Amino acid sequence: MSQNVVVIGGGPAGIEASRRLRDLGYTPILIEKTPVLGGHLARWDRLFPEGIEARTVLDPMVADLDGIKYFTETEVSSINRLKDTWVVKLSNGLSAQVRAILLTTGFDLFKAEKKEEYGYGIYERVITNADLEDWFKSGAAPQFDAVNVIGFVHCVGSRDEKAGNRQCSKVCCVTAVKQACEIKEKFPDATVYCFYMDLRMFGRKYEDLYLKAQKDYGIRFVRGRVSEVSEDNDGHLFVKAEDTLFGKPLKIKMDLLVLMAGMAPAADNHQLARMVNIQTGEDGFYLPQSIIGSPCTSSREGIFFAGAATGPKTLPETLSEAASAALAIDRYLKTPQKK
Amino acid sequence: MIYQGKQRIWSEYQKEIPTDHWFYVRSCIRQSFFPASEKTFLEILRDRLGKDVYETPHHTTCGGIAYHSEAIPQETVMTIIARQFALMTEAGYENYVCSCITSFGLYSEVIEDWREFPELLAKIRENLWKATRREFKIPTYLAHASDLIYKFRNQIAEQAKFRLVNKATGEPLRVVEHIGCHYSKMFPSKGVGGAEYPYVLAGMVESWGGEVIDYPERRHCCGFGFRQYLVKANRGYSVSNTHKKFESMEPFKPDMIITNCPGCPYFLDRWQYVIAEQTGKTYGENGYGIPVFTYEEVAGLVLGYNPWDLGLQTHQVAVEPLLDKMGIPYKPEDKYKGPRGELLQRPDFPMNIKCC
Amino acid sequence: MGKIYDRLAQDYRIKEGLKACISCGTCTAICPAAEFYRYNPKKIVSIVQSRDDDAIIELLKGDQIWYCGECLSCVTRCPRKNAPGLVVMALRALSIELGYFAESEKGRQQLPLMHAMQRNVLNYGYCVYPETFAYEKHPEYGTVGKWVKDNQKAVYERLGAHLGQIGPGALRKIPQESLDELKAIFDVTGATRWMEIVEEKSQEKAREMGLTMEEYEAQAFNQTSRCHLNDED
Repeated sequence: MSQNVVVIGGGPAGIEASRRLRDLGYTPILIEKTPVLGGHLARWDRLFPEGIEARTVLDPMVADLDGIKYFTETEVSSINRLKDTWVVKLSNGLSAQVRAILLTTGFDLFKAEKKEEYGYGIYERVITNADLEDWFKSGAAPQFDAVNVIGFVHCVGSRDEKAGNRQCSKVCCVTAVKQACEIKEKFPDATVYCFYMDLRMFGRKYEDLYLKAQKDYGIRFVRGRVSEVSEDNDGHLFVKAEDTLFGKPLKIKMDLLVLMAGMAPAADNHQLARMVNIQTGEDGFYLPQSIIGSPCTSSREGIFFAGAATGPKTLPETLSEAASAALAIDRYLKTPQKK
Repeated sequence: MIYQGKQRIWSEYQKEIPTDHWFYVRSCIRQSFFPASEKTFLEILRDRLGKDVYETPHHTTCGGIAYHSEAIPQETVMTIIARQFALMTEAGYENYVCSCITSFGLYSEVIEDWREFPELLAKIRENLWKATRREFKIPTYLAHASDLIYKFRNQIAEQAKFRLVNKATGEPLRVVEHIGCHYSKMFPSKGVGGAEYPYVLAGMVESWGGEVIDYPERRHCCGFGFRQYLVKANRGYSVSNTHKKFESMEPFKPDMIITNCPGCPYFLDRWQYVIAEQTGKTYGENGYGIPVFTYEEVAGLVLGYNPWDLGLQTHQVAVEPLLDKMGIPYKPEDKYKGPRGELLQRPDFPMNIKCC
Repeated sequence: MGKIYDRLAQDYRIKEGLKACISCGTCTAICPAAEFYRYNPKKIVSIVQSRDDDAIIELLKGDQIWYCGECLSCVTRCPRKNAPGLVVMALRALSIELGYFAESEKGRQQLPLMHAMQRNVLNYGYCVYPETFAYEKHPEYGTVGKWVKDNQKAVYERLGAHLGQIGPGALRKIPQESLDELKAIFDVTGATRWMEIVEEKSQEKAREMGLTMEEYEAQAFNQTSRCHLNDED
């Protein structure tokens, strides 16, 4: 009988790592607290940089779960150390005794309403990147009248000490450019702005997407962080920012504003960290042994990480880290036990 | 606008306000331009609600306006504030309430600085001792006078003779609330409702029957700007900021404006007059302006005070259209009378803004 | 790092108000002064952050630092917990200390401002007081304001103020021993020295400009050149 490994978190990292572990001869026990596997990816319509549909990545993964025991709507109740093993009790009453646990708890989307000055949850025409993906995916048209001016606000809850999130969320810049192009396709006559602090187009083909957004879609990029959003008596928005490259304050009337909510550490991180006695950083993400040398290994024996649980990551980074984590676990389990 | 979204934010900024025993300090601007407002505040607290609010004749300015005009250094203003706290300590109080938003913001800032830099607090204690031989404790609770009216808003509503409702139509009055920058922009948690959607005035308006208007430039400064008003050469700054606010609120057709800070009602009232005289533009109905009130004046009207006891005759923008809407009776012939009922020669009529 | 910057960094408002600026423009976007004057708080913070003494001295001698209205709206929004308004206040204080304020038109306003404010505080115990709030200097007080001034005693009595009277109450006469304490505080904490610096530097500058002190002070209070506003040529 093959050895069990518990994988906590059924997003892309958890699914991919489980598949890799299975291929290496283990039996992964994959635990997901929501009703569906796939994490944030399951909600997303299309992926940067090329605009392929998210389901073309996720569906084949979810269709390939033979040999993996997975439980949705299931949470971890407790984890206890017993000699050189971990005893994991689940909310469904099951428990598993394993030598290795992989934490693939991912991230929470930053709660955009915490940036009170942007009025999410107060002004109807202020939505988030995730709301926009819902809309793209469902095809349901917006309930607003003429949508002529649209804005994207980068760094909502990212690089923001006041919001308690100092880190760059990494994916929002390119997501905003992707979504700006997509919305321009839906409203070809609309003027679309992106308000950014720095455009972080670091990945292959990201810069191409940016170029296309400028050349083919006429997206207007304004280097300045949005300071305030307000509403007129027809429900339209006023957006204030500085165009820092011209050194002038701007006030633009808009019909729709999309907030690029960033990646916040998963709310459960602290609780799980306490259960297995590991550290989270001051940013709330798990601390691996070394961000460079051993990003998948924790300070405790038998506890491993993959994906955005240790900080914002793109999907390809998450998937390759899931593969690395599976190898790290395999090596750990094959190393003769001490004593 | 999604009202529940604001309620959620309001629930996150619930400031603790003790119910009784306050050491009270006045505002330079409020007592100069709205002296009856301070009188009304004390009457409501002491006589109607039976609260202990103590005032010593020895308290002075906090120095805030001088400090924000760079007329005195930071160490001076901190030591003046330390002296105010010493008077509170000597009088046996721990709860400190001030009648001015500039003061309130400055007290909040100074207390925070002292907490962060203990060596600075030590220096100020030494300064105060050298200059006055006084010692002080930092207040346990700091409130702006409007925090107390907010706290007791429902008791005021229970005693109300009039409501912020248009008597003819039964509709709630449309009220612009203006909070004053130094109330919570520096320290959102020190103000009722926070910095972005402050609730201190909105709570009063709702409790007394009115409807709050949220207009695009709601959060913008009234334009005081300290030196930008105090020096004549700079006043274009002041009036242009007020102008921006009125242009923004105009489409919402407000019936009235309620203010928190003592300076804002002066500027929002007087600059309407200046804009009308210079450009002919008025923002109220039928050539009137939009009447501007302190929160004490509004509380007084709700409680049935005589408008002329509240000092509404010293506003440049006529208040009568609002009194009529609320169904408040008043005697026009008493408006410009002196303390013994003697008739004082009435003010001139401005050219462009209608007055009564 | 320069000597002027070092001195500036001693100011608690710099310690409190300048952590590290990311130049995102959030402050400028909602700054009431930036919309009106040729003013950009982000640029000022960038210059201070550069620690370049020559550039900082240029600020201290120029008009820009005097454009801020100290509303501190910038404090709410800065994602890095900076306070550009406090940085400006520290620059102004240093400009006074070093006597550089007299080199700019807006800085020269310190003389009438400090006369008005310090005299009000020392003579009356208030920053603003009806006795010194002259209608001639404040025509915006309006026709009603003129009426209040013309009937000052009667109006204040009618409204329940204790203008110039003994005991508690609005606009009361503050006891002399309390005013003496304010004077002692001014002496101990540097306000008296500030007035001396401003008097002395203003006199020097008035001589240089060929003006009497009365002319100099009136010019500073009343006049503005066509170079400050956004919408000017």
